[in-house]
Amino acid sequence: MAQLKNLERDYPIIDSNFQQFCVSHGIFSVEDFLIHDLYTLAAFAEQSISSERLKEGITQVLSIMDEMMHQPWQNGLELLEDAKRNKHLLPTGIEGIDLLLGGGVRVGQLTELVGPSSSGKTQVCLQTASNVARNYTVLYLDTGNSFSPQRIAHFLGKTNELVSAQAKDQILQKVMSNILCRSVFDIFAMFDVLHQLQYRLLYQDRGGGCQMRLLIVDSISYLIAPVLGGTSSQGRALMASAGYLLKKLAHQHNLAILVINHTVWGEGGTSKPALGESWKSIPHTRLLLSRDHGNNVRNVSILRHPSMASGKAARFVI
Amino acid sequence: MEILRLPISASQRGKLISAGYTSLYSLSSISSSDLARELKVPESEALEILKAVSHTRGLEISNASCSIVEGAQNAWDMLHEEESLMHITTSSADLDNILGGGIHCKEVTEIGGVPGIGKTQLGIQIAVNVQIPHDFGGLGGKAIYIDTEGSFMVERAFQIAEACIEDMSEYNRFLRKDFQACEIRMQPKDILENIFYFRICSYTEQIALINYLDKFISEHKDVKVVVVDSVTFHFRQDFDDMALRTRVLSGMALKLMNLAKKFSLAVVLLNQVTTKHTEGSFQLALALGDSWSHTCTNRIVLYWNGNERYAYIDKSPSLRSASAAYSVTARGIRNSSSSCKRIKMM
Repeated sequence: MAQLKNLERDYPIIDSNFQQFCVSHGIFSVEDFLIHDLYTLAAFAEQSISSERLKEGITQVLSIMDEMMHQPWQNGLELLEDAKRNKHLLPTGIEGIDLLLGGGVRVGQLTELVGPSSSGKTQVCLQTASNVARNYTVLYLDTGNSFSPQRIAHFLGKTNELVSAQAKDQILQKVMSNILCRSVFDIFAMFDVLHQLQYRLLYQDRGGGCQMRLLIVDSISYLIAPVLGGTSSQGRALMASAGYLLKKLAHQHNLAILVINHTVWGEGGTSKPALGESWKSIPHTRLLLSRDHGNNVRNVSILRHPSMASGKAARFVI
Repeated sequence: MEILRLPISASQRGKLISAGYTSLYSLSSISSSDLARELKVPESEALEILKAVSHTRGLEISNASCSIVEGAQNAWDMLHEEESLMHITTSSADLDNILGGGIHCKEVTEIGGVPGIGKTQLGIQIAVNVQIPHDFGGLGGKAIYIDTEGSFMVERAFQIAEACIEDMSEYNRFLRKDFQACEIRMQPKDILENIFYFRICSYTEQIALINYLDKFISEHKDVKVVVVDSVTFHFRQDFDDMALRTRVLSGMALKLMNLAKKFSLAVVLLNQVTTKHTEGSFQLALALGDSWSHTCTNRIVLYWNGNERYAYIDKSPSLRSASAAYSVTARGIRNSSSSCKRIKMM
């Protein structure tokens, strides 16, 4: 929020007299204004010489804040309408996971895939991306150079055996052009990308171009790990604001967001998801992946879900 | 607060917040000298802060490009690009087969194994093989060898380089009997000249070097591989603060990933093993813990099977898990000479 003196340019009522008055009460910025007791401020304004102008100034600042911050209220019926119309389930293409989740990943929610190394997290994301890209645009944020176009082509080539080679090629090109991949190597770059995306999606919502429905971040724990911990709490603040931004994007622009987390050693020799307790409550759905020793069968179980019991599990093969 | 997502130091951020600047908008119309006066910092720092702000705001306003996000590529283009990327051969055909042609560029490959299995030998072989000229199917690039343990033997590198040149001239004679043009003009010492060698004695030096590599490689654009032997050595002893170790390692891994992607080179990290107590038994696992195991793109584990050395692909985004035998000879890494030459699929 702006310093009061910066507002003077646009709102002449907040002149130097008003600012002087505010400074005498320790108010430098709009934020301080909110914290201060407005009744006492108004009472003081009453007692000073140019009381009318000061009171006008106070109302002006309040109306500026209203303008900037106001979000419309929604009732339950509107939310239900919105859910039915916009918040569908996107099938991942992997039978086991689709059955477990009742159809696929839900649009408007943040889903987390957590698991030890080489348990199949990236493969699940690649498979989901290739499936969703048939109809919508997908953005893949890659932190470990593990986005493999060959693998996507392989997943797409597995279906559609009845089509000719040329048609296959065309479908391949069309679907793969719907998948965009961007490498990010630090958390600030990720924030930049998400903010750019926000502006683009505002434009898309007004009806331009192919709809984007899936955002994959592989892996968010890799970006947060270098800043988490230590003496300052900035790391945790960044993590929380990343989670907040992702959930806001998901809800407002009807995206399904899939993030990948890894595991670390906990007490007692068992592994637990990384990023700690504060991250646990941020994703809507958490799925734990693991791999059976010696064969290619993977297990997925629900750690947290808004409408299903945790502990439900399924198996699948990539 | 929006200030939180600016890449500036914590003390600068604290000063901004206590002066009342909590959003980017508030910093958009102030000059650097005013800001310097308000925050009581030198003007150069104020300029830096404003630069970071304008960069972030500039991204928001630039609607000119038609792609959804600046710098994103679509998968179809990437597929075609990938087909033209070369691989670095390991001189062992079986090993190259399971690796899909060799070590991939633009990716970070971690190779780990018990002591004596041939990690350093493989590292030296890769540093030599990257210099194979384009005519012979190689990358024709230079190598950076970062040595933390002191196990790089120049005489051995000379031996391997000689063997590599001999192989190339034999190949030349074999296939191009009528072409005189591709005479091998390379000498072993030329190969050694193209290996940039750094010796590291502590973990701070290691971090400093990785930070410096960006500048170094921008000046030496033909570097095509960075071998770090080994990345674990300075992080295993006397590290009291494990959380610090995790942070430092993740930061280092991200920088290496960035290097690999930006300059299209291959990064090879050699790792040691440690014992891990899982599910009631003790197993050998790669060192540096779970968080580190997520940071590489590909992972190859070297192990003994009877009297033979084997390599096993543990993690890869596009390759199937498989293992192959190889051997370490006087000429370097070569195919295993046993009669059982089948590649075992897992």
